[in-house]
Amino acid sequence: MNKIIMDDTIGRDTVLPALAIRNLNFWYGSNHALKDISLDFPIHQVTGMIGPSGCGKSTLLRILNRMYDLYPGQRATGEVLFDGRNILSPGLDVNVLRSRIGMVFQKPTPFPMSIYDNIAFGVRLHERLSRADMDQRVEGVLRRVALWNEVKDRLNASAAALSGGQQQRLCIARTIATRPEVILLDEPTSALDPISTARIEELLDELKQEFSIAIVTHNLQQAARCADRVAFFYMGELVEVDTADKMFTAPHAKRTQDYITGRFG
Amino acid sequence: MMSAPQSQSTDAGGWQRGGAQAVRRRLVERFVSLLCNMATVVVLFVLFSILWTLITRGAGGLSLPTFLHSTAAPGSGGGLANAIIGSCEQTGLAALIGTPIGMMAGIYLSEFGQDGRIVSLVRFVSDMLLSVPSILVGLFIYLIIVEPAGHFSGMAGTLALAVLFIPIVVRTTEDMLRLVPRAMREAAYALGAPGWRVILNVCLRSARGGIMTGILLALARISGETAPLLFTSLGNLNWSTNLNAPMASLPVTIYQYAGSAYDDWVQMAWTGALLITVAVLATNILARWWLTRNGSAQQ
Amino acid sequence: MELPSTITAGDGAAMDKNTRGRFGDLVFGMIARLAGWFILLVMAGIVIVLASGGWRAFSTFGPGFFTSTAWNPISDHFGAATSIFGTLVTTLIALVFAVPFAFGVAFWLVEMAPPALARFIETAVQLLAAVPSIIFGMWGFFIVVPFMAHYIEPMVTHYLGHVPAIGLLFRGAPYGTGLLTGGLILAIMITPFICSVMTDVFVSIPAVLKESAFGLGATRWEVMRQVVLPWSRQAVMGGIMLGTGRALGETMAVTFVIGNSNRMGWSLFAPGNTIASLIALEFPESSAGSLKLSALLALGAILMIISFITLACSRIFLQRGTSS
Repeated sequence: MNKIIMDDTIGRDTVLPALAIRNLNFWYGSNHALKDISLDFPIHQVTGMIGPSGCGKSTLLRILNRMYDLYPGQRATGEVLFDGRNILSPGLDVNVLRSRIGMVFQKPTPFPMSIYDNIAFGVRLHERLSRADMDQRVEGVLRRVALWNEVKDRLNASAAALSGGQQQRLCIARTIATRPEVILLDEPTSALDPISTARIEELLDELKQEFSIAIVTHNLQQAARCADRVAFFYMGELVEVDTADKMFTAPHAKRTQDYITGRFG
Repeated sequence: MMSAPQSQSTDAGGWQRGGAQAVRRRLVERFVSLLCNMATVVVLFVLFSILWTLITRGAGGLSLPTFLHSTAAPGSGGGLANAIIGSCEQTGLAALIGTPIGMMAGIYLSEFGQDGRIVSLVRFVSDMLLSVPSILVGLFIYLIIVEPAGHFSGMAGTLALAVLFIPIVVRTTEDMLRLVPRAMREAAYALGAPGWRVILNVCLRSARGGIMTGILLALARISGETAPLLFTSLGNLNWSTNLNAPMASLPVTIYQYAGSAYDDWVQMAWTGALLITVAVLATNILARWWLTRNGSAQQ
Repeated sequence: MELPSTITAGDGAAMDKNTRGRFGDLVFGMIARLAGWFILLVMAGIVIVLASGGWRAFSTFGPGFFTSTAWNPISDHFGAATSIFGTLVTTLIALVFAVPFAFGVAFWLVEMAPPALARFIETAVQLLAAVPSIIFGMWGFFIVVPFMAHYIEPMVTHYLGHVPAIGLLFRGAPYGTGLLTGGLILAIMITPFICSVMTDVFVSIPAVLKESAFGLGATRWEVMRQVVLPWSRQAVMGGIMLGTGRALGETMAVTFVIGNSNRMGWSLFAPGNTIASLIALEFPESSAGSLKLSALLALGAILMIISFITLACSRIFLQRGTSS
C-alpha cells in the first residue's frame, strides 16, 4: 500500500500525498461550482488555496470532510483519495472521516461549554479515555497551541469568555485533540487581529511537523508566508499549483499573474 | 418670483416654508402623539388597577392558616393548602410530561427539514394547537379520559395542561435552535460528531437560555389556566395528592369561590388570585431576566 | 490509478463501520419523529372527538342548529345562533377597542418613548398579557361591572340612546354585565398581544426606509402612516388575527362578566353568552349521552372551526408580511 507515487501536477517533486483529488466536479443545485479539479495535498506540508471570492476554494475544502453532506442539493463527482479510499463513496462513515480530517472555521466557534469540555467533546466522540488520560490530552493540545499558560487556571470557565484569538487557538486545539491526519483551515485568521494572526501562522508552521494542512486564505501574504505549495483557483477551475516561491515570483498562467500582481501591486 | 440666487431659501419661504400646511402637519403630529401617550397611560392604568385590586383585596387573607389548611365550609376558617399543592402537582407534572415531548418535536421541526412536507404540517398543526381555545382541550380530555374512567382525576387535569404546554415548548425550541449559528453546527460535525450529539450537546446547550425561558413562560401560562381543569380535575374540597382522584387547583378554587355568596369564600378567592398572579408574574420576570443575562453571556 | 496512502497507513475499512453514532442518529431521529407525529395525533384526536361527539346534535337539528336561538334542556331543543352571535359580537367589540390602543402603545414604544422607559413599559405590557384570564374575570366582575352599571352605561344611554339606528345598541337596563363589558374585558386581554406583534414589526422595518422618509422632512406620524404601516400592513393584520383567535376562545374572563343569558338582541348592554362561556357553564350539568352534551360538543366543533379560520388567516398574513 505504501507506495510512493509521482505527483503529476508538478512532475518534479516526489511527495507522498495525504489527500489526492482526481477529476472532482461539484454542483450547488444546477450551479457547476468546481470543474474537473485534480490536486494533491502532500504529507506534512501546508497547501494554500487562493483565488477571488466565489472561485470555489472554500467549496473544495468543505468537500474534503464531506461537510456538503449537511445540505441538500449539493453533489460531488470524481474521487478524493484518502488512506486508500474514495471519501466521496456513499458507504463511508463520515463521522470517522471527519475525525481523521479535522476542520477549523473562519470565525472561532467555541461550543457553549467549558474550555476543558470544548476539547474533551471531540475526543469523547471517538475514544474512551480515563480521567487522567483525558486531562493529559487536554493539557497536551493546549500546550501545542500555546494556550495552556493562559487558561490552565480556568479550564472550567466558559470558552465564550476567551478573546477571539484565544478562541481560535482553542478551536485548533479541539481539532488536533481528536488526532486527525489532515487539518483543513477555512480562512482561520480573517476574523482576528494582526497579533493573533501572527501567532496562528507560527502555530501552523509547527503543526505541519505532525499534520498535513490545507488552508484557504484571502490574504496572499499569508499564503506566501505559511504555505509550502499554493493552488490558485478561478471561477471553479484550478488554474495552477506550484511551490509558494514559484507561485509568487514566476507564475505560469496569465490569470495567476494578474491576480497576484493586482493584489500585491 | 425668482429672485437673488445668493439666498437659496427665499423662493420657497425660508423658515416659513409650507405656511398653513406646515402648521397643520405639526398639529396632527402633536395630536397623534397625545393619543398614543393616552393609550399607553390607559393600558398601564389597567395593569396597575388589576394589581392594586388584588393586593388590597387579597392581602387580607395572607396568613399562615391559608397555606396550612385545606378549603373548608363557609365560616369555618379554611385555607388554600390543597389548592396550592394541587396546582403545583398538576402544573409540575404537566411540565415534566410536556417538556421532553415538546423539545423533541421542536428539534424535529428545526433539524429534520429533509422530511419535507410533513415537517411543515407538524409546524402548522402545532401552531393550531397553540391557539386552540383551552376549554376545548378540557372537553377533549374529558371525553377520552374522564368519561371512560368514570371519574374526574388529577391525572386528567395534568394531561389537559400538558396538551397546552407542549406547543409552547415546541415553538420556543424550534425558534431557539434556529438561532444557533450554522458555523457552530458545522464545527461540531467537523469533529466527527454524529447528528444527535451535535443537536443535544452543542445546539441545545447553546439554545438552553432561550428554551429555559420558554419553558418558564409556558409554566406560568398553564399554572393560571382554569377552563381546561373544570371538566378534568374538577376540584376537591379536601387535601388530596392522589392523581387518580379529583384534585383541587388554585384557579378552579378561585372560580368556585369568587361566584359564591359567602364573604370569607370571596376573600379566599381574592387571596388565591393574588397568590397565582404574583407567582405567574414573578415567573415571567424571572424568565425575562434569565434570558437577558444568558443572552448577553453568549456574546 | 494508484492509490495514495497516508503516514498512518491506517485500515481504510475502519471508515465503513456502522458506528454507535449512526445507530444513535437512527434512534434519535425516530424519537424526534414520534414527538412530531404525537402532535398530529393530539390535534386529530381533538377534531375527531369534538366532531363525532357533536354529530348527534348536527344530525338532529340539521342546518337549523346554526340559526336556532333555542337553548332548552327540558324540551331538548338546542341552537347555536345565540352563542355564535355572542362570540362574534364580543370579539368585534374587543377588536374595536384593542386595535387602536395596541397601535397607540406600539407607536409610542417604537417612536416616542425614551429608551429606559420603553423597556419598562414594554415589560409591563407583556406582564399584562401574562395575567391569568380568571384574574381578568374577577377584576372585571368586581370592579368593571359596577363601574359600567353606575357610570358608563347610564351615560352612554343618555347621550347615544336617542340617536337613530345606533341608539338601539345602547338602550336597556344598565346591568353592568353584558356583551359590551365582555368585549371590553377581552379588549384588555388581547391588547398586549396585538401590541407586541406590532412593536416587533415596527422595529424590524429597515432603518433606511424610515430614515429616507424622515430625511424628506416627514413627521413621525407621516412616516408611520405612509412608510411603516404600508410596509408592515400584512404582519400587523396577522397580529390582529392572533388576538382575534384568543378573544374567540376566551372562557373564564367572559364567563364572569357576560351575564350568561341565552338571549339575542340589539342592545350591547344586555346579558348574553359566548360558545366558550356556555360550554363552561352548561357542561357540568349535562349528563353523558344526552343531546345537550352533543349540542355543546357541536358548539365546541364550531368554535374550533372559527378559530382555525382565524389562525389560517393570521398565518397567511404573517407569512406574506415577513416575506415581503
